[in-house]
Amino acid sequence: MEGNIASIAAGLAMIGAIGPGIGLGIGFSKAMEALGRNPDAAGAIFVPYILGLALTEAIGIYCLVVALILIFAGG
Amino acid sequence: MIHVEIAGETLFTIGWFEVTNSMVGAVLASLLLLAGAWYISSRSALIPHRLQSLLELPVEWVTGIVEGSTSRWRSYVALVIGLFLMILVANWLGLLPGVGTIGIRHTVEGEEILTPLVRPAAADLNFTLGLAIITFVVFVWWGVRVNGPIGYLKELVGEPRYMAPLMFPIHLISELSRLVSLSMRLFGNVFAGEVLIATMLALTTATLFVLPLAFFVPSIFLGLELLFGAVQAMVFALLTMTYITMAIAEHQGGHEPEEGEGREHRDAESEHRTAGSPA
Repeated sequence: MEGNIASIAAGLAMIGAIGPGIGLGIGFSKAMEALGRNPDAAGAIFVPYILGLALTEAIGIYCLVVALILIFAGG
Repeated sequence: MIHVEIAGETLFTIGWFEVTNSMVGAVLASLLLLAGAWYISSRSALIPHRLQSLLELPVEWVTGIVEGSTSRWRSYVALVIGLFLMILVANWLGLLPGVGTIGIRHTVEGEEILTPLVRPAAADLNFTLGLAIITFVVFVWWGVRVNGPIGYLKELVGEPRYMAPLMFPIHLISELSRLVSLSMRLFGNVFAGEVLIATMLALTTATLFVLPLAFFVPSIFLGLELLFGAVQAMVFALLTMTYITMAIAEHQGGHEPEEGEGREHRDAESEHRTAGSPA
């Protein structure tokens, strides 16, 4: 793969990973806050927390998939 | 330079059927699970020995989570446990030495590339798409089976009936996008982990300080992949459970109640079934 517009586009596509980064940070901080208020609720928080993490992170994965398509099948 | 293929590379063909290296990885993971299950069940005891209690650990943990979802959890707990164990073993198998590194070296267009013999199964979109299709069919089937086909479509239309032309396409697309998101999430995570490890292992050719970079840095990323492989397996299984739970629930102003309300919900569910069965 030499330098062409597809590689530049792949790099630009990953800028979209800012969103999930912020979202995950906010989600995690809220989970920590809830845990700090009530440490016994760790079991009840855990499953919805992991679910929320996965759904938010999926958006970042979509950006990655666009970048991969551009690298491997672009230009 | 590093060469990673996004699709599984074909090792050999049997007639028209191409066997790729990620298929080999999937078959290895299945064989490992089957061998473990056969061994454990042939020597199971009421007071479990160490290997049995080791393998009961994920089963009990996942069952503990699935128990709190609906009152009919026994019907789908096997699917959730199976998905969890399959993806877990497939992901962790990709971290063993030799996977992704031992292969056939050949030259393509003047560049020498290595085709690995075994590749982590979930690094192939076919594998993750297959699992996502299973999950999709299962939760649509559950929705139709519990609420009836008319009830399931009414679910998609939504509560204020005049909002139907707006809400119906939105709900339909969000249900279909679950298929895409499940497969893409697992594939993206595992494939990105593969590329990451390949990049880290290739660092040795680019530097003078060989030992720290050849040993410590890849092992950090192997540990990261260990964690992410397990998390992605759990997320896939839990999302399957969540989608089935949401398909079973009746949206009468609330979602499926958590544990403690199972009995009331069971009565409400049977009442709804007799009252709302399609003509």
